[in-house]
Amino acid sequence: MNERELLEAVGRLPKSIEPPRDLWPGIAARLRRSRRWYWVALAAAAVIALVVVNTKSETWKVTWLAGTGPGTLRVGESVATDDSSRALIQVGDIGQVEVKPGSRLRLLGADRTNHRLALDVGEIYARVTAPPRLFFVETPAGVAIDLGCAYTLRVDAAGNGFLEVTSGAVEFEWAGRHAIVPLTFRIEIRPGFGPGVPVVAGASDAFRGALAALEFAGDETALPRALALARPDDAISLWHLLARTTGASRVAVYERLAELVPPPAGVDREAVLRLDSRALDTYWNWLPHSVWLKGFKPPPIERRPTE
Amino acid sequence: MYALCLRLTGDAGAAEERTQDVFVRAWDKLRSFRGESAFSSWLHRVAVNVVMNERRATIRREQRVTPVAAPEVLERGRGEPMTGLNIDLERAIAALPEGAREIFVLYDIEGYSHAEIAVLTGIAEGTSKAQLFRARHLLREKLDR
Repeated sequence: MNERELLEAVGRLPKSIEPPRDLWPGIAARLRRSRRWYWVALAAAAVIALVVVNTKSETWKVTWLAGTGPGTLRVGESVATDDSSRALIQVGDIGQVEVKPGSRLRLLGADRTNHRLALDVGEIYARVTAPPRLFFVETPAGVAIDLGCAYTLRVDAAGNGFLEVTSGAVEFEWAGRHAIVPLTFRIEIRPGFGPGVPVVAGASDAFRGALAALEFAGDETALPRALALARPDDAISLWHLLARTTGASRVAVYERLAELVPPPAGVDREAVLRLDSRALDTYWNWLPHSVWLKGFKPPPIERRPTE
Repeated sequence: MYALCLRLTGDAGAAEERTQDVFVRAWDKLRSFRGESAFSSWLHRVAVNVVMNERRATIRREQRVTPVAAPEVLERGRGEPMTGLNIDLERAIAALPEGAREIFVLYDIEGYSHAEIAVLTGIAEGTSKAQLFRARHLLREKLDR
C-alpha cells in the first residue's frame, strides 16, 4: 500500500461510530452531581437547537484532489492544505474554488447573496458563474469581489500577494481604494495599501517596476517613468492612476492617457481631472480591454476609506 | 464524539469516559461559545482538549495507557457500516504508538493543520510532522502484512 492508497482509505473511514452502550445516563448523573441537573433538560434543548440550526445552515462540499480532509465546509470552519494536498470547494451553486497546496481558507458566509471566504495564506483558483457581487474573498490586503469570472488569488504569510484574472473581471477593494481587474490583467496587493493598479499581461518589466516603485515604495519620481513607458494597452492602468494622483501628477496622467487613447466625445478634460464619475465612467467604457465590460459601472473612486 | 475519542485514545473504555467528559465539559463551557464558529467545530475542539488534557494528567500520574488489546470493539459500533479494509485500518490506527496515533488522527482524519496540532498538544510543528510521517509509515507497514 502506498501513501496515496493509505490516505484514500482514511478518507473512507466512517465519520461516526456509536458507542457500545448508551452514555447519556452517565453524563446526566455527572451533571446532577454538579448541582445543575435541573438545567440538563434546558441544556439538551439548547444543544439540539444549535445542532438543528447548524444542520440547516448551508454546507459546501469539499473534494480532496490530493490528500485528505473534511468533506464539508460550514460557516466558521476552515480548509487547510499542506504542501502536498489540494481541495476543490463547491461554492453553493455558483462556482468552485480550488485550494492550492499550503493554503488556509475560512468560510465566513454562505448565504445566497453573500458567498464569502477568507484566504489567510496560500493560493486559490476561483471560477464563478453568477451575477456580480455574490462571491467575495477576503484577504489581509482587502477583498476580491467577483464580477463573473475566473481568477487566481495568492497571499503570502505577510499578507502580500496578487490577483490574476483569466476570465471576466474582478474588483478588489480596500478602505475605499478600488481596482477593476479585467481579463488578462493582474494586480499586486499589499496589507495597508490594498490593490495596486491593474497591469495587463505583456506589459514591460520596466513599466511594472515603475508602477511598483510609485505605489508601494512611494517613489514619486517613478511616475514620469511609468507614463513614458505606457502603451495604448496600458490605458486601464493609467485610468486607475487618475484617482490615485493629485494636482500636477493627475494632469500628467490625464495628458498621457488622452495621448494614448483620446477620450470619447462628451468627455471633458476638466471633468476627468475633478474625477467626475460620469466622465470617468464614459472614458472607462471607451478604453480597450474594457469593451466586454461596457455597461458595467465602475465603482465610485472618491469613496472615503471604510473600516 | 465517540469516534473521535476512540481514535485518539485507541481504547474503547477510555473513549466512553472521554465522550462523557466532553459533554460535561461542553455544558460547563457553554457560555464561552460565542457563535464565532459552527457549534460542531466548537464541540470538536472541546473534545480534542479533553482528550489531550487527560493524556497530560495521565503522564503526570506516570500511568501507562495500554493500547487496545482487543480492537474488535471497533466492530461493535452501530454507526456507519465498516468494510474489511476499514476494520483493518481502525485496528492498525489503534495499535499505533500514542503520540503517532494522536497526530495521525488529528491531521489525516480530522483535518487539523500542524500549527493547530502544535497548539493543541503542546509539541513543536516539526515534531508533529515527524510523528505523522512515522504513523503513516507504520500503518502502511502494518496493512501490507
